[in-house]
Amino acid sequence: MFTLIKREIEDHIAYFLGAAVLSSTLVVLSIWAAYNYGPEEAPLYPIGLSIPVIVILVIGSPALGASQMYTDRNRKVSAFLSALPVTRGRILVARIITGILAILTVLAPLAITALFLWHLLVPPIPIYPCPIFDIFVTALLMAFACYCLGLLTGWASSKVTPTLAGLALTFVLIPLIMVKGFGLHTAVILVLFIIASLIRTWQKFMSTAL
Amino acid sequence: MNENVIEAENVVKYFDGRCVLDGINLKVPRGCIYGLLGRNASGKTTIIRILLGLEPPTRGQTFLLGAESTGLSAKVHGRIGYVAEGHNLIQNYKVGRLAKLCKDLSLHWNDKFFEHLTETFRLPMDRRIGQLSIGMRAQLNLSLALAIDPELLILDDPTLGLDTVARRQFLELAIDLIGQQGRTILFSSHILSDVERIADRIGILAGGKLVVDCALEELKNRVKKFRLIFPESAPENLYLTEIVNKEIEGREIVITVANWNQQKQNMLETFKPSSCTELPMSLEDIFIECTRPDVAPLAHL
Repeated sequence: MFTLIKREIEDHIAYFLGAAVLSSTLVVLSIWAAYNYGPEEAPLYPIGLSIPVIVILVIGSPALGASQMYTDRNRKVSAFLSALPVTRGRILVARIITGILAILTVLAPLAITALFLWHLLVPPIPIYPCPIFDIFVTALLMAFACYCLGLLTGWASSKVTPTLAGLALTFVLIPLIMVKGFGLHTAVILVLFIIASLIRTWQKFMSTAL
Repeated sequence: MNENVIEAENVVKYFDGRCVLDGINLKVPRGCIYGLLGRNASGKTTIIRILLGLEPPTRGQTFLLGAESTGLSAKVHGRIGYVAEGHNLIQNYKVGRLAKLCKDLSLHWNDKFFEHLTETFRLPMDRRIGQLSIGMRAQLNLSLALAIDPELLILDDPTLGLDTVARRQFLELAIDLIGQQGRTILFSSHILSDVERIADRIGILAGGKLVVDCALEELKNRVKKFRLIFPESAPENLYLTEIVNKEIEGREIVITVANWNQQKQNMLETFKPSSCTELPMSLEDIFIECTRPDVAPLAHL
């Protein structure tokens, strides 16, 4: 499994480098903003930071998923790997783990920085709970949901319908977060969406001729 | 232990409503070198892909090393070497990187043998696979398949694109492998002299059916071609069962018959030909006769 994950990362290294650069830039920006604007605006940093991150993840994660599947189909990677002691299930699981790692490359440093700044700058007021965990979980689930859509789109032989469906669903997901906010309700809806996308991707990947 | 390494039971495959395989039954025992023949688009690659679980059959079941093809485990895959038609290697990888990937994923990897093969074939490890010639890709694919020390080797037209010297090297390698006990090879090829040299059992696919499935020697003994000359014009009603081909010209009939036996010999003599000469048949001649479009499906030879 480790070899397969390593192969996926090496083949899509540009996405990981992009994610690392983006994450570092945002970490530096947030530290700079926190020290320049002082603790009064500190509670707004995580929310302010989450908007560009979510927009970038909504675009970047499906692109990664589609790229992984499209490259596979185009270069017959799975057809080659399937002749080795590797099952299709393992190939897909390695791919999904790689996708999660790419998303975490963006989100994890940001979440750690935001948490650190929150505890450093925001006074501990019990009625104002720390939103960082909720934002992190929602952003992760949303990015993963978009990534799953990318996987599904990239594997389909017809590109137009799944791309349009993916775009429509993405435009539903963003208002959903805006209306419901970061929290349990949004997380449940996203988890259901992720399960449905993964089941369909799994079923298509396992049954299609390689 | 299951002694049939490869089994196909009533395999049917349709592509876009067109029947490519029509009820294929195949059994390849352990240690057999099975040559699968057929014209272009006769379904050789399709049956191989179905066996490996790369293509789902429309109906029927296939088994490799006792495991059902649709659910082959990584452990079973590790005992199978496969050279795909057209050599589906990852084009943007360098040779060395692909070899390392195969080594890391394999259950067994014979480093010395792989090095020996790459030196024999003079494969450049630092070049991208997309930049290799077709022949070099074939050699690399074969080297990767052999380095895992496979119990079952499946070769789909492996000598396609190889020059005469490389083809000879490949055949020698295959013969070496055959020398190791218990190894089974299934291979398809259009070069019948290669098949004739190494195969001990032959299958011929025609019209979606496996029209021939028997030992090579048996095939040569059972398919016979005769030139019959009659004192007057050749009889139009000359009838024997399992006639593969019949050409009538004046006093002469050239007839090819499957499952030749004494009974058919006696039947032929009742037509009183003035001379009956047996014409020697190579595997190529038999193949051409068996895959003619107007030939009725033969009973299994």
